[in-house]
Amino acid sequence: MNSFWNGKRRFVALLMFLAGVFVALRVPPVIPFIQLPGEKFPEGFNIPFVDIRWTNTMVGSVLVWIVLLLFAVYVTRRRPKDGNEVPPGGFYYLFEVLFEGLMGFVGGIAGGRHFRLIFNMFMTIFLVVLMANWMELVPGVDTIGFIHPHVKEKYDAEADEYKLVTTDGYEIYQGFLGISYVNGQCDWISPADEAAADQAALANAELARLAAAEGVAVKAAYARYQAEHNGHGDDATQEGGDGHGADDHADEAVESDEATAAYDEVLAARVAEKQARRDRSCYTGVAAAPWQDGYEPYDKTKSKDISLHPDPSSDAAKLVPWVVLPFVRVPSTDLNMTLTIALISFVMIQFIGFKALGIGYLTKFFNFGTLFKSPLGGIDVAVGLLELIGDFAKILSFSFRLLGNIFAGSILLFVMSFLVPILPWPFFILEFFVGVIQALVFALLTAIFMNLATISHHHDDDHDHAEAH
Amino acid sequence: MDPQSTIILGKAIGAGLAMIGAAGGGIGIGLSVGGAVQAMGRNPDHTATIQTNMILGVAFAEAVAIYALVVSLIILFVLS
Repeated sequence: MNSFWNGKRRFVALLMFLAGVFVALRVPPVIPFIQLPGEKFPEGFNIPFVDIRWTNTMVGSVLVWIVLLLFAVYVTRRRPKDGNEVPPGGFYYLFEVLFEGLMGFVGGIAGGRHFRLIFNMFMTIFLVVLMANWMELVPGVDTIGFIHPHVKEKYDAEADEYKLVTTDGYEIYQGFLGISYVNGQCDWISPADEAAADQAALANAELARLAAAEGVAVKAAYARYQAEHNGHGDDATQEGGDGHGADDHADEAVESDEATAAYDEVLAARVAEKQARRDRSCYTGVAAAPWQDGYEPYDKTKSKDISLHPDPSSDAAKLVPWVVLPFVRVPSTDLNMTLTIALISFVMIQFIGFKALGIGYLTKFFNFGTLFKSPLGGIDVAVGLLELIGDFAKILSFSFRLLGNIFAGSILLFVMSFLVPILPWPFFILEFFVGVIQALVFALLTAIFMNLATISHHHDDDHDHAEAH
Repeated sequence: MDPQSTIILGKAIGAGLAMIGAAGGGIGIGLSVGGAVQAMGRNPDHTATIQTNMILGVAFAEAVAIYALVVSLIILFVLS
């Protein structure tokens, strides 16, 4: 253990530490964000020659295929030319162990006339799914990517179009050492909403001032009227205008005082509302993020100078929670990939059935032969239909089993990395085995179903009866 | 309570209820592995066959739990 940190490893650790500090200072904090479908890359990242955007799971599956191709090229190059040659060591042995072990394994299950085809399918599916599953163990997968504001598309019924809106619940604030943090406790108010609320507060204040001014003006006018027509002034005064009408100049002063007080009161309520949010370390108004121009560090001493007039169209209005859109995501977490392999497997099961039994394979599903011959013929029909449904259910269960296991696994790793940033390694070991087991189960079930499809049940029954008699 | 919170509350409760289905898968896996281990203990010569069948059975039992998981994932992340 002591010698472990000698030599180059020390510098590697130092470099990683510095990289961590650099990332923490330069990159905005991101919030954990989980999305089931594969995430689309931003505009401009189209697949060559096709007008389709890349998704990160698609990048992952392309990488899987590249790795598998390299693997195949390597193994065929290293393979000894004749039996006497000693095979080269290292990685090649791993492949031989895997190949021989699985060949014996499948031979025990589906050894027979169609072993070759079944084993080819088994090995292909096993390797593809294994590589895809193990991709979640590679550092950088699911973590390195585009950083973008946490917005989502929302249908606006009034404007009849989709709009990008920020999702709520997160605020970025300044903390220890100038590093910005994400606070999930803040009530997120988008810059546009904030500006609208400010405008509304201003308008309300103006209305209050006008109302106060008008009230005073009405009172003053009534007092003047009373003063001019003194003889008719015996009417009941509902306005209570007594005393105000004494002096016009005093009226002016009272009017402006009262109106200003009303105006200030409404604005003060708005300021207090913002201050309450700011006291909870939540940003109010619009500010620039650390990586943007015009950034000012959060200063508690200045926190009372709240601007009521932010510019909603400014660059700083982009201050929203951030998420990472990974460059590469595990392909098995995308239903497209698992469903594709499940469909291939389904087609191969039917193919080998027709190959082995010819058109008679269909009697497995549409079994009307015994309907009028035996009293229980109806049961055979029902069983055949159940088999038909069951075969289609295989597609569902194949695809969802792999998707569910690996997606749950990658969420587990993801969440654990957020909870315990340095020590999620026990879960990596768990996911290592889950990846192997799921790949094995997928390939094994394909092999078993293919083997089952080659066996004619009726022939077997007849055969058994003949033997028994 | 505002509508947004109500939606989140409903989603969380629904996802949690959906995951009750995982209990059945757990019971199934436990039974099949227990039986397989007993069988392997009694006749170790057939370990390979028993293991294959056990993995098959476990996969089928697990599939049910995975359906529950998928339902709750859909409730959480796809429904909006």
